[in-house]
Amino acid sequence: MDPVAVDLAPLDGILARYPAEESSLIQVLQDVQRHYRYLPRPALERVAKALGVPLARVCSVATFYKAFSLVPPGEHVVHVCMGTACHIRGAPQVLDELWRRIAPDANGDTADRRFTIKAVNCVGACAAAPVVIVDGRYHGGVQATKVAKVVGLEEGGRAS
Amino acid sequence: MPTVTIDGRRVTVREGAYVLEAARLAGARIPALCHHEAVEPIGACRLCVVDIWKPGWDADSFRLVASCLYPVEEGLVVHTATPRVMETRRVALDLLLARCPETPLVRDLAREYGIEETTYRKRENPDDCILCGLCTRICDKVGPAAISTQSRGVLREVAPPFFEAPPDCIGCGACAEVCPTGHIKVTEDGFTRTIWGKTFEMLRCPSCGRAYLTRAQAEWMAGRGMPVEPLCDSCKRRRTAEVAASLGRPR
Repeated sequence: MDPVAVDLAPLDGILARYPAEESSLIQVLQDVQRHYRYLPRPALERVAKALGVPLARVCSVATFYKAFSLVPPGEHVVHVCMGTACHIRGAPQVLDELWRRIAPDANGDTADRRFTIKAVNCVGACAAAPVVIVDGRYHGGVQATKVAKVVGLEEGGRAS
Repeated sequence: MPTVTIDGRRVTVREGAYVLEAARLAGARIPALCHHEAVEPIGACRLCVVDIWKPGWDADSFRLVASCLYPVEEGLVVHTATPRVMETRRVALDLLLARCPETPLVRDLAREYGIEETTYRKRENPDDCILCGLCTRICDKVGPAAISTQSRGVLREVAPPFFEAPPDCIGCGACAEVCPTGHIKVTEDGFTRTIWGKTFEMLRCPSCGRAYLTRAQAEWMAGRGMPVEPLCDSCKRRRTAEVAASLGRPR
């Protein structure tokens, strides 16, 4: 599944932080997601064993929440807020423009693994609508004409 | 033990029973697709809705609840077929029919409620799964918890981890047994059983020779100190009957 072998050593540290029981599952998965930027399959199998949770349930939780991903993201992760305020201030056009420029697959991943685009619901920064988050950094007032620059496709952007 | 009134009939039921059990005891016919005595109710299919009234409420104040997970209490009054109960079931069936437009059980039930075709958009490439969760609940109850629901919303589906042959499955077939629509397929050829894309070796009943248990299940049970019955169900029944007969008539 995974293109390269995953180093599972960091899991020991993550698992040591929480009691080895079912109720630790989400916290552990959050830390795993933060470390690897996704949930590698071997890590899920280790977590299931370590917490004594059936693998099927671990997968159920891992696929339920939008905050988790089972596939590695691109080099830069771009979240386009589609919440109500962003929506009425032009977020759909921003998303369309971004989609047109970098042409990702249906999951929002580009073939060169450079970008992952995700349309998300309200990120809680409505005053700055429309909001685009690039690698965790919030950008406000991003119109369709500015989005290429914001994600680093044109001069003056951050990501490159 | 609480006494409740179901469609005008008073019944006394065990403490801790749910309304559905009481209603069926009183002879009411209530459809339910996600209910099974062996597992805890989750109220997923919404077909078992009924109107309830409690002492102290206004005389015309009724509430719509899923009877499978509404606990009985003393003096509860239940109506199982009011117009709005029937209408609510119709909407639920209409939606189920949009999800499973070709599933015989869903079609038959919908027809009973006057629905031939769904009024919603039919799901593309439908299967027979209504997401009642009986399979995953029974698998949890048996113990392996080898399957679960994956994703959520319109993408939600029952599947083994990573959509591959489930490593924890012991081939007991309980999931297929409780599946109300026959969505879960299990095939046997006398020597093996295949389910969820995993093939199991079968053990044979020493008395009649029928393949009756997977080796994986026998080993799983033995590993947990559970007694593994060496006979198949029908031979076990026959043996019990023979033992009973040899004892003669009880005084």
